[in-house]
Amino acid sequence: MKASPLGPRGVVGTPLKRPDRTISVQSYVPEIVKGLGITMGHFFTNTKEMVLGQRNDPNTEAIADGINTVSYPEQQRPYPERFRGVHRLTEREDGSPRCVACLCCSTACPAQCIHIEAGEYPEGDKRRGYERFPDKFVIDELRCIFCGYCVEACPCDAIRMDTGIHPVPYDSREQFIYAKDLLLKMPGRKNDHVTENPRHEPGEATHPGIDRDRH
Amino acid sequence: MNIWDMNIWPLLIAAKSAFVVLFGMNLGVLLTWTDRRQGAMMQDRIGPNRAVIWLPTRMVQAILVLGALGATGATLLAAQALRPEEGAPSTLSALLFGELALFLSWFTMVLIASGAHARGARNSFDRFATGLAAALGGARFIALAGMLAQVALFFLIVVSGGGEFGETVREVSFGAGAALFGLAAVSGSLYAAVSMHAEPRVGLRLAGLLHPAADGLKTLFKEDIIPPGADRLLHSIAPFITFFPALVVLGIVPFGDALCFDTARDQPFTVKSLGTLISQVDSAALCPTGSTAFKLQALDLNVGLLYFFALAGTGIVGAALAGWASDNKFSLLGGLRAASQMVSYEVALGLTLVGALMVYGTIRVDEMIQWQARNAWGIFVQPFAFVLFFAAAVAESKRIPFDLPEGESEIVAGYFTEYSGMKFAMFFFSEYIAVVSSSALMAAIFFGGWHLPFVDRSAIHVAVGDTVYLHYAVSHGAIVVLGVLGFIIKIIALCWVQLSIRWTLPRFRYDQLMRLGWRKLLPLSLLNVLGTGLVILLLQGASETVASAVRYLANLSMALLAGSAALGFLLFIKFMMKAPNKKQLLSSTSAEYAQARGGTHSRRMEA
Repeated sequence: MKASPLGPRGVVGTPLKRPDRTISVQSYVPEIVKGLGITMGHFFTNTKEMVLGQRNDPNTEAIADGINTVSYPEQQRPYPERFRGVHRLTEREDGSPRCVACLCCSTACPAQCIHIEAGEYPEGDKRRGYERFPDKFVIDELRCIFCGYCVEACPCDAIRMDTGIHPVPYDSREQFIYAKDLLLKMPGRKNDHVTENPRHEPGEATHPGIDRDRH
Repeated sequence: MNIWDMNIWPLLIAAKSAFVVLFGMNLGVLLTWTDRRQGAMMQDRIGPNRAVIWLPTRMVQAILVLGALGATGATLLAAQALRPEEGAPSTLSALLFGELALFLSWFTMVLIASGAHARGARNSFDRFATGLAAALGGARFIALAGMLAQVALFFLIVVSGGGEFGETVREVSFGAGAALFGLAAVSGSLYAAVSMHAEPRVGLRLAGLLHPAADGLKTLFKEDIIPPGADRLLHSIAPFITFFPALVVLGIVPFGDALCFDTARDQPFTVKSLGTLISQVDSAALCPTGSTAFKLQALDLNVGLLYFFALAGTGIVGAALAGWASDNKFSLLGGLRAASQMVSYEVALGLTLVGALMVYGTIRVDEMIQWQARNAWGIFVQPFAFVLFFAAAVAESKRIPFDLPEGESEIVAGYFTEYSGMKFAMFFFSEYIAVVSSSALMAAIFFGGWHLPFVDRSAIHVAVGDTVYLHYAVSHGAIVVLGVLGFIIKIIALCWVQLSIRWTLPRFRYDQLMRLGWRKLLPLSLLNVLGTGLVILLLQGASETVASAVRYLANLSMALLAGSAALGFLLFIKFMMKAPNKKQLLSSTSAEYAQARGGTHSRRMEA
């Protein structure tokens, strides 16, 4: 009789082969020897590869014979591209912060861990009247819940969480308070301090909107 | 009184007791580390290895260079002493120097090449080593080439014979070997000394072996908590009652053949008598008449194995007391489990050996080994009993898969739930020392103890049936040393198998445990006694043809052992040469980041 693909009860699936209760299984000993062979095989292979320096690169090489283990902390796995690490403040081409102290991030922050004090550019500065700058920019990394809302809220691409660095443990609470200088020094994934999005300053030809001269 | 005339016999007796205690305790401590380390390596982790002693670089450099110079000087002096007045050096000394030099040369080269491969070549010597390795196909092929050269040298010297060509070969191997040994030692150590020059300090890790020492030290300083409702006295002595029997049962294990000294037994045994070690003994008697036998066995008891069972049985008391005295229900349950489990398996443990006792006709362990040396190893005579005894011994030491007394999934930690600090560590150690002592007993009863295949008491004697293939006389002292080393290797191998079982099998259920003990091991061991008795009776009435066939089979078993040892060595080399299976696969952005950085950078893993 041809077996129905649906089986006697009309269920779709492959019938599993039950383990045979043969004498070799029931007497334990051959099965134990087989199991010992597997564990000892792993032991010898891993030991040999560690001693001879032949371990697979845990990040870029596929699991082959053995187990591909990242030996943390000696080896580390880079975080994926969209991982939200500790914050950084991006810079403009001239090295000044992109942040215009609009307080969008601190408003969006559900943990209320961002504190900004805005400063006014001095009289005569070409940016005066267009924007302000952060006199103080402080993030309490201990309060932060790494939700990324600040990055979403920022209109200037000034705050990013693309450092690829996880929050580090410290000895005291003060050390978790990241101030403007530290945030500006944090590098991005490409070890740079700018972003992919170019900024168009007022007065530049690429500036899309209206400014003092063009209105 | 002159120190040279003092009777040092009591000192020697004390020394061998001290050896047994130190052997058991050190191996036990070592096993606590090995167990963790082995489990880690199975998962490709390093395991406990972070203990380190920092040494000043200058000191390490001085030790390296002075040590190499000393070794070279000693080799040259030894070469001077071994060189005969006239004619070519002997085959043995030519082999010794040639092989040693080749080994040291390729080993140093492999170390340098693999080190340079790992961190990049830093000097011309590095470049030479990596170039050589690249030309051969990898550092491990330097090792292969070196080993092949060693085998070739062996055959060249053995085959070339006593003629003029043979003399030249021996001459070259001897002289060049001594020179090459010195060169390799000095240049290797100089290389190491120079390459560590920039480092401010050098870590001594001994492959992570300092870790158990650090752990032991730590437990000594930990707080010792006795629960308020506990019986203070019993709670405190229970670890000792568990620890003591596990250690002292090693006393009846003979670590080697008896040493024969040519000093009459009624004379005082002085320091000078140590020099009267007999150079050749015959196979029949223990020692020639008029000489003194120094047995390498701390307790030469005529009750033999009974002592082992009597003392191993008292280990139950410690576990049960610990469970009862802790004033904790989990402890009590653990103690009860331990007591009933150990009592149950004690029965099987004793009965499985009855078959072996019937065959050997003695309960003294040293006489059992002598029987095995004359005939065949116990594993061939009583294979069934070995399997049963192994299972019972693992259960008796309360280890996985029989570790229900400490079953942490249901009763926290069983009978030592309420123990901390060094008392806890003593329970821990005694478990491992029980592994050592049961392995020692298994090695003695089933694996020929200090006997090695085709090594009899006076010579390497390869013979199957009536055909003698090789007979090479070796001095008595060398044979005993070889035997002790062989025995220790057997013990370590058996310990290792017991530890591997831990990482392989899951825990039994309690009724399964009891059923295995009473309804499987016990009847099977009784059957084994019956079967052994029948075979003994049949062989007693057998004809001369059958008897000689049995003797031939016994010789074949030795050949099988020697053959499988050689095959194992070849398989080991093949395994080491096997290239690792690597395949690049970038399946995530994190892999791409790692790839962009030129692979995963790892700090040095010290192991």
